[in-house]
Amino acid sequence: MTRPPNAPRSVLVVAALAVAFLTLPVLALLQRAPWSGLVDLLRRREVVEALGVSLLISLTAAGIVLVLGTPLAWVLARVDVPFRRLVRALVVLPMVLPPVVGGTALLFALGRRGLAGQWLERWFDVTLPFTTAGAVVAATFVALPFYVVTVEGALRTTGDHLEQLASTLGASPLTVLRRVTLPRLVPAMGAGLALAWARALGEFGATITFAGNLPGRTRTLPLATFQALESDPEAAIALSLVLLAVSLAILLPTRDRWLPTR
Amino acid sequence: MWTRPPAGATLLAVLAWLGAAGCTEAPGDAALTVFVASSLTDVTADLADEWTLTSGVGVELVAGGSNHLAAQVRDGAPADVFLTADAELLDDLQHRLLANPATDQMTDRVAGRVPTVIHDLAINHLVVARPTAGPERRPADLRDPSVVLVACATGVPCGDAAAARFGDLPVDSFEPSARAVVARLALDEADLGIVYATDVAAHTGLAPAWPQEPTCPCVTYAAASLSPSGNPFVAFLTSDRARQILTEHGFVAGPPR
Repeated sequence: MTRPPNAPRSVLVVAALAVAFLTLPVLALLQRAPWSGLVDLLRRREVVEALGVSLLISLTAAGIVLVLGTPLAWVLARVDVPFRRLVRALVVLPMVLPPVVGGTALLFALGRRGLAGQWLERWFDVTLPFTTAGAVVAATFVALPFYVVTVEGALRTTGDHLEQLASTLGASPLTVLRRVTLPRLVPAMGAGLALAWARALGEFGATITFAGNLPGRTRTLPLATFQALESDPEAAIALSLVLLAVSLAILLPTRDRWLPTR
Repeated sequence: MWTRPPAGATLLAVLAWLGAAGCTEAPGDAALTVFVASSLTDVTADLADEWTLTSGVGVELVAGGSNHLAAQVRDGAPADVFLTADAELLDDLQHRLLANPATDQMTDRVAGRVPTVIHDLAINHLVVARPTAGPERRPADLRDPSVVLVACATGVPCGDAAAARFGDLPVDSFEPSARAVVARLALDEADLGIVYATDVAAHTGLAPAWPQEPTCPCVTYAAASLSPSGNPFVAFLTSDRARQILTEHGFVAGPPR
């Protein structure tokens, strides 16, 4: 590594400290891992079950995020809606809200006696708490803002010159969206989706508060880890390793993409 | 148009609020930290008030699942007293207990040997409860899969006791503490929940799902002092006044000493 003349040594030192701070816990986890018995631990029913539940819930949530988040990001970036800053603040809120608060709020909104939930039960016989669908709702709630923020940022930085050009040449708004906007947006969408998926995969607080904790239905990897931590620490570490591996598998292929490059 | 208030102003407002809140707080010193099983939260608050009245020592309560609290104590959390719903957890904490022999000074103070561990502080029975807003139930509903049933998770004392008493049940969610089960019922999100008799007595939102006799397997609470300053409080827990408070809250107090 060569040091560029414009990088002060002090900045490099602090940056290195930050990297060490973020990596040390992961290294400690790897150091404590029961490597010899790992295969047996990973074959256990509760581990396999939790992994399946986690993948099902986080992938479904990612799909919903894509469908709901893309139009929302476009509207926030391109349409002069009233109270846009307020709307954006509300959209980003789940990112900074403690997930347990989010889960409680979801319970009051979509629970059996919730604001909207009571009508869901009365009209459609649908109850979300204690179901896999409820866990998907919780994961979507916390993950959606990550996608919207990423895609909206990309839309803003790319500008709309090409879109205006296409309109002047006679393309309909939908054609512009489909042929000009979306193709250029694919990298940012992929990055935003990866972030949202990773967030959904790691979701804990909102899930246990809103959807409960049942093996095979709502007990995801983080919930299983939490459960195992006091009774079977080795299993908890094995579960953490699975989470770590899946998260890395999601994030590495999209490296550098979640920052809008241009 | 909605505009964002300047961040500095928001921060100032929060700080001012915190300052005001800090001034209203009593200048008392919470000298004693008591880790308490979540099902003992209310009764321990009363016990602590009584203790502060007689001894002048302030008490800070940290409530949670017994196993979580034990894990925290094991990891070095600064607890002086631990009230647990699972006496076996105390075995894990032997090193902390051994490091806290009853000192001569303490012995003088309470006249007699200072107990550092009480294995049978009180008993609490399990009750199958329903939301007061919901319909009355029959014992058969406990095994009906269409009924939304919540219970404590394995490893949590109320969960282990429920498994010992009722066996395999079609549970819809394993909650991390007895209080979490109470919350599910109070919010009417579950039809049935396995909770403590004291929880049913304390919450208007809960009712026994059907008439039930107090039966064991149940939960026996244990108390241990983890530091010398915790010893007098643990000794106080066996006093007549403390037993009276326990009974008022619906617990079956342990044998008199």
